[in-house]
Amino acid sequence: MYGWIWRHLPGNAWVRALISLVLVLALVYVLFQYVFPWAEPLLPFNDVTVDNGTAVNK
Amino acid sequence: MRPRTVVRTLSELCVTTGTLLVLFVVYVLYWTGVRADSAMDRELSRLQDRWSSGAAATAGPSGAPVPGEQQGEPPGERPGEQPGVSPEDPGDAARPPDRPAAPSAQAAPPSRPLPGSGSGQGAPGRQQAAPARPGEAFAVMYIPRFGAGWAKPVLQGTGTELLKKGLGHYERTALPGETGNFAVAGHRRTYGDPFKDLDELRPGDAVVVGDGTTWFTYRVDARPYRTRPDDTGVIDPVPAGSGFRGPGRYLTLTTCEPEWGHSHRLIVWAHLDATSPAAQGRPGALPG
Repeated sequence: MYGWIWRHLPGNAWVRALISLVLVLALVYVLFQYVFPWAEPLLPFNDVTVDNGTAVNK
Repeated sequence: MRPRTVVRTLSELCVTTGTLLVLFVVYVLYWTGVRADSAMDRELSRLQDRWSSGAAATAGPSGAPVPGEQQGEPPGERPGEQPGVSPEDPGDAARPPDRPAAPSAQAAPPSRPLPGSGSGQGAPGRQQAAPARPGEAFAVMYIPRFGAGWAKPVLQGTGTELLKKGLGHYERTALPGETGNFAVAGHRRTYGDPFKDLDELRPGDAVVVGDGTTWFTYRVDARPYRTRPDDTGVIDPVPAGSGFRGPGRYLTLTTCEPEWGHSHRLIVWAHLDATSPAAQGRPGALPG
């Protein structure tokens, strides 16, 4: 998978390394900005009220 | 060649999954805190700005009928050792939302007599500048037990998004200093960990709330109480299970229990011990 990506990047090794770095950073940004905020409420750390429990259970 | 590709792809998938998990843990443990801290700082400075611009108008005039130090609620309000005799039976905790919401409460001093309190001092007849809009910060809470620098904004409402920016005030409950129950929820873990140490509060600990015009010093009455997530009686005007017997000016803090779970809730109750005008400076319960 990573070898396939590497082979399809343009330029010499330095350019490819730079592009890879940019890709990784973009991926991390997307994860932190969009994916993780969506996934985090699925974990139980948000249930701190007593009445929300009622709303969910009933 | 073929098995080699399969094995390599599998390994890469494993490494990728591991990296994603590590990143997610970093996000939950660290990044939510970074975001929440900056959001809370923003809310705090917004509050300070509003108070410094508007407080001059509200706090300055001598007409602001803020009673001076009103020390010590009568002992009748302290929780007895036997909470079982409480008039509010925890059994009917799931009653419909008929509890007297207090939308107009700051305009109306307690219309009922206070049999339990016996203190003829009406509610602090102070005028709140404006009832806080949902999602808006309206007070700052200090809990010296959590550290001298611990100060968090209190926002109106308890929505998930809102709790990322500060503590949340249950909208149906009383405002600070009012007769009734000023109930506040906060994260135990993640999003700045505001109530991480809630289980360390002990009787006598101060919880100070400032709304720009008045400081309210509450005192914790009992050790933290663990209850079910649907036990809404704990934020009633006279909280069920608290041991408080009659109407009074109470404070309830709620968060999740256990620390990283959601099977229960941790509750801390306090009663109003003293109020002082903001103009007099920070109350004695606060260090510095």
